Amino acid sequence: MSALLRAELLKLRTTRTFLTLVGAALLLSLLVVVLTALLQDHFTHRDLRSLFAGDFTGLFILLLGVMGMAGEWRHRTITSSVLAEPDRLKLLAAKVIAYAIAGIVLSLIVTLAIMAVGTIILSSRDLPTLDVTSLLNVIWPNIATAGFLGALGVCIGALVRNQVVAIVGVLIFSFVVEPTLLGLVSDVGKFTPITGAPSGLTGIEFGGDDNKLLHQVPAALVMVGWLALGFGAAAALLRGRDLT
Amino acid sequence: MAPVEVRDLSKRFGQVEAVKNLSFDIEAGRVTGFLGPNGAGKSTTLRALLGLIHPTAGTATFDGKRYEDLDRPSGEVGAVLEDASFHPGRSARNHLRVLAATGQHPPERVDLVLADVGLTDAADRRVKGYSMGMRQRLAIAAALLGDPEVLILDEPTNGLDPPGIAWMRGMLREQAGRGRAVLISSHLLAEVAQSVDDVIVISRGEMRAQGPLAQVLGGDGGPVTEVIAEDQAAMWSALQAAGHTAVRDGGSMIVHGLTPAEVGRIAGGAQLTLLLLTPRARSLEEAFFALTGGEAPA
Repeated sequence: MSALLRAELLKLRTTRTFLTLVGAALLLSLLVVVLTALLQDHFTHRDLRSLFAGDFTGLFILLLGVMGMAGEWRHRTITSSVLAEPDRLKLLAAKVIAYAIAGIVLSLIVTLAIMAVGTIILSSRDLPTLDVTSLLNVIWPNIATAGFLGALGVCIGALVRNQVVAIVGVLIFSFVVEPTLLGLVSDVGKFTPITGAPSGLTGIEFGGDDNKLLHQVPAALVMVGWLALGFGAAAALLRGRDLT
Repeated sequence: MAPVEVRDLSKRFGQVEAVKNLSFDIEAGRVTGFLGPNGAGKSTTLRALLGLIHPTAGTATFDGKRYEDLDRPSGEVGAVLEDASFHPGRSARNHLRVLAATGQHPPERVDLVLADVGLTDAADRRVKGYSMGMRQRLAIAAALLGDPEVLILDEPTNGLDPPGIAWMRGMLREQAGRGRAVLISSHLLAEVAQSVDDVIVISRGEMRAQGPLAQVLGGDGGPVTEVIAEDQAAMWSALQAAGHTAVRDGGSMIVHGLTPAEVGRIAGGAQLTLLLLTPRARSLEEAFFALTGGEAPA
C-alpha cells in the first residue's frame, strides 16, 4: 500500500495542474485575508475566526481529487494503473488517501500562511488577533475538511468518469445547490457533503447563520458517512467495470 | 504448463458474443502472432487475459495464475495495449517513475528502459509533444519496466517508422531469444510473417487456426505450384483438360492442389516447354484470407 501511495503522490506532484491549483489556492486565500485585514476596521471574535478559516484549499483539493480520478478515464491512464496494480480497491484506496494527505498538508501550509500574514497586518494596525488556542481551533477543522474534500473528490471522479461533467457538477452543487439548501431548508442543507457538514466542523457558515449548522461531532460523523458512501459506490463501480 | 494458457474463454457484451470458447497456449522462447479481422475479438481476448475485462466464462492464466493473482503482475507480464495513453502533462521519465513505484520495480530500471527504446534524450519532455512513434516507444518502455517473462503487445508497430518497425522486430526476436513468451497482435501481416514463430488466427470471436507459422501457411488447401510455360495459353488449356485450374500472378500461373512433379507431368503430356516450375508457399495474407473468409485484417 505504501508503494501505491508513493506512486499516487508522485502522480500529483508531476503535473502542472497540481502546482497551478496549489498556487491559486494560496494566492486567493492570502488575497482575501490581506484585503480584509487591511480594509475592515472592527473585528469580533467570530470575524477573526472567519478570517483565519478563509482557506480556499478545500475547494481546490476537491477539484484536484475529481480531476485526478476522472483524469484517469479521460487520459485512459486507468489501464496502465490497473495493469500495474490489478487490485482496483487498493488502487482507489491509495488515491483517496493520497488526496486526503495532499489536502491536509496544503491546508496546513495555507492556513499557517494566512494566519501569519493576517496576524502581522492586524497587529500593525493595533487590532485584536486570535490567541494560540483559538488559532489551533481553526487549524484542525480546516485541515480535516481539506483532507475530507480531497478524498471525496476522488470518489466523485470515480463515479462520474467525464471530467468536465464532474467538475461542473461539483461547482454547481457546492456554489448553488448547497447554499440554497442551507438558506431555505437548513435542516437538509446542514447535512450536505461539500459545504453543509464541513461548515459544521469549522463552526462557521460564511454569509449565513452559524446556529443552523451541525455541531462538530455530528458534522464529523456525517462527513465520515459521506466518505464511506462515496468510497463504497466508487469501489463497486470500479471493480465491476470492464476496461475496454 | 505453458507460460500463458487460455481455456474456453468467452466474453459477451449484451447481445454480442465477442469471444467464443477460445483456447490456446503461448510458449516460452517463441513469438506468437495473434491475427484477426476488425472486431474479431483480439483486443477483448488480450484485455481478458490481463484482467481488464471480466470474462463471461473460461480462464486466462500465466503459469496457472490469473493476472490479478500474480505476486508482481507488471514484473511478470509486460503489456502494450492499442490505446496506450499517458497524461499529456507528464514527462516520459515521470510516467515511468509512477509505474515503477506502483509496480515496485527498481527506480534505476526507468533510465535503462528509456535507453532501450531510444528515448533518453526526450525523457524529460512532456508527452503531449511526442509523435505517435515516440508514444509507442514509451508504451513499450513501460511494458519492459518490470523485465517480464511474458510480453503482450497489441498493435505495437502502430505509428512506428520503418527503422522503428525494424527495431521492434529485433526487440521481439531478442526477447524470445531470452526465453520469453511474446504475443503480438498486428494488422501488418507481412511484418508479422517476418517476426513470428507461431500464429493464432481468430474471426468473429472464434478460433480459425493456430500453430507454427509454416503449418498455418500450409493450410488445408494442399500444395501450391508456380509455373511459367513457353506457351502459357497452352499450359492453361492442359491444366483445364486435366481437371485443374490456375490463377495468373503477373507472368506466371499459380496452381493450387498440385505438386511441381504433377504439374510437370501434365506439361510433359502436352509436350510443353517449361521456363519455371517451383513449389510456392502461401503468403500469410493468402492464408489469412482463406481462414477468415476474406475479411480485411485489422
